Amino acid sequence: MGYTRVHANVREYDVFARKARVEPLRQVGSVVAPDDDLAMAYARATYDEERWVEMMIVPRDAVIRLWGPGESES
Amino acid sequence: MRYAEWCIAAPSLEADIAAAAMGLDDIGHSRVLYGSLRELGTPDGPDEGSYSNVPYLDRPWTDWTQFVAANAVLDSAFSIMIEALVNGNVEVLRSRLRKMLQEERYHYLHGRSWMREAKAAAAVDQAWREALEWFGPEGGDVDGFKAEGKLAYPVRDLHRMLQERVGGELPETAIDWSAWDGTRRRTAPGGIDQATLDMLQGLAEKRYMPAGG
Repeated sequence: MGYTRVHANVREYDVFARKARVEPLRQVGSVVAPDDDLAMAYARATYDEERWVEMMIVPRDAVIRLWGPGESES
Repeated sequence: MRYAEWCIAAPSLEADIAAAAMGLDDIGHSRVLYGSLRELGTPDGPDEGSYSNVPYLDRPWTDWTQFVAANAVLDSAFSIMIEALVNGNVEVLRSRLRKMLQEERYHYLHGRSWMREAKAAAAVDQAWREALEWFGPEGGDVDGFKAEGKLAYPVRDLHRMLQERVGGELPETAIDWSAWDGTRRRTAPGGIDQATLDMLQGLAEKRYMPAGG
């Protein structure tokens, strides 16, 4: 993806959160960091403006996509 | 305050944002701590010329490694002391300071990760020494508070906890306690630079006020 920034090796993480237990988790953004520690710190610093009851991050390379926009379900 | 100075100067945009967020957290923490002090009957603080800060905060940091060392070592020392108070027997502090620990966890994660990246050994040595000075000597006031139950851990445990949190090799540090100022919890003389003091007291902002305003 061409993210080098200041770190030699970085991963992208998607950030998910919800405001109430009854809501589904939704993607609120993403962060780029060299490891889980910094990704957690960045996610919390960047996206904690709302009163989330839950927040989690997922390394984007751990996500398995079945199909995307414009692709057929096959 | 020193965190805030880096909110447009850190190595990446994410680190800028984290510096600003951690600065805001710590301003909130000072407000809670001053409020608790007042409630516990401590008279309002020393005059502005004698802030009881660690020497590390006297001058703006000129290098990112100084930020990293302050974040990983001094912020952790502060969190460990807060933890000792939360687990102590002073009810006001037990209940009020708990939220700080949740926020400080992210300061720690930030510092720990950057420690792996930044070659901050010299800055870490300095921060480690100042953290030990801030904890104070064994058998001193902190151990006295531990004996009374106000703090959950003695100085020896505070050192061990900080060492575990910072990790790696930390220098054997001999501190000349005869030069130690028990009120300001440091051996080095000096204090915060004038420009920062002006900002802290709102004097810097006054320059921008309309005349007579």
